[in-house]
Amino acid sequence: MTAEKPLHDRHMLEALVCPLTHAVLRYDAEAQELISLPAGLAYPIRGGVPILLPDEARRLD
Amino acid sequence: MTDSTQNTTHFGFQTVNEGEKAGMVHGVFTRVASKYDIMNDLMSLGIHRLWKDAMMNWLAPRPGQHLLDMAGGTGDVAFRFLGRAPGATATVCDMTESMLTEGQKRAEAENLASRLEWVEADAMALPFADNSYDVFTMSFGIRNVTRISDVLAEAFRVLRPGGRLMVLEFSQLPNPALQWLYDRYSFNVIPPLGALVAKDRDSYQYLVESIRKFPDQEAFARMIRAAGFGQVKYRNLSMGIAALHSGWKI
Repeated sequence: MTAEKPLHDRHMLEALVCPLTHAVLRYDAEAQELISLPAGLAYPIRGGVPILLPDEARRLD
Repeated sequence: MTDSTQNTTHFGFQTVNEGEKAGMVHGVFTRVASKYDIMNDLMSLGIHRLWKDAMMNWLAPRPGQHLLDMAGGTGDVAFRFLGRAPGATATVCDMTESMLTEGQKRAEAENLASRLEWVEADAMALPFADNSYDVFTMSFGIRNVTRISDVLAEAFRVLRPGGRLMVLEFSQLPNPALQWLYDRYSFNVIPPLGALVAKDRDSYQYLVESIRKFPDQEAFARMIRAAGFGQVKYRNLSMGIAALHSGWKI
């Protein structure tokens, strides 16, 4: 995966919402995570595929 | 029902607690992913391709539409949709990572990359905003979910007003004699075939049981209406071995 993501990918990531709260997600490009503050979860992006499953998410401290 | 009673659902012919099903289904598809396309061909004698074409004919994709293909794993439906509609875009969503990985490996995925996105999520809790898609499709996926009504509610939520739902799923043959014959075929041929080709008899045993357990055409149509969809209709494919259900968010 290249660090510079194509534009359409960025648009896609910004269109996603938290499946639990429907809150807008913050994209952390460095960590390759999508952050849902209301749910307290960081959803991983693996191989360019965002994984919006709460069971797969990292709990925010 | 008391508070301590756990809700149950079907996993093939077994009755399991709701909390268990997703993991069990996930296990099945993780195991079969790499052989999924070839097994579909063998199980349906290639006819699933004609069914997906029939789905596209009824759906009539239009330029610029935004498709959400749920349980779209290997991309079959999304590739067909994009092939028919210039400038359309598609989100392929699946709960199983290995199914998405298989789809991304296919040649069409490369050619259509700029119009495709891949997302891993649960059909019962979609990570998309309200009113964000023109078309919601699900082919051979909805019988695997824990609560069908939750999926239909999510489809209704993410479709924009005027948007369309289309579901392709195995169904029941209206003719009892044919259903009997088909059951013999399903239960005697498919699990051994799965053992032979995919080295996994149990997963294919689950697949045939889950087909038999899925609501028939009319019952499923009622569930779609109950989710709020209008103009709900269905078409039988191959005498009812599969059916297409269509509904509109109006």
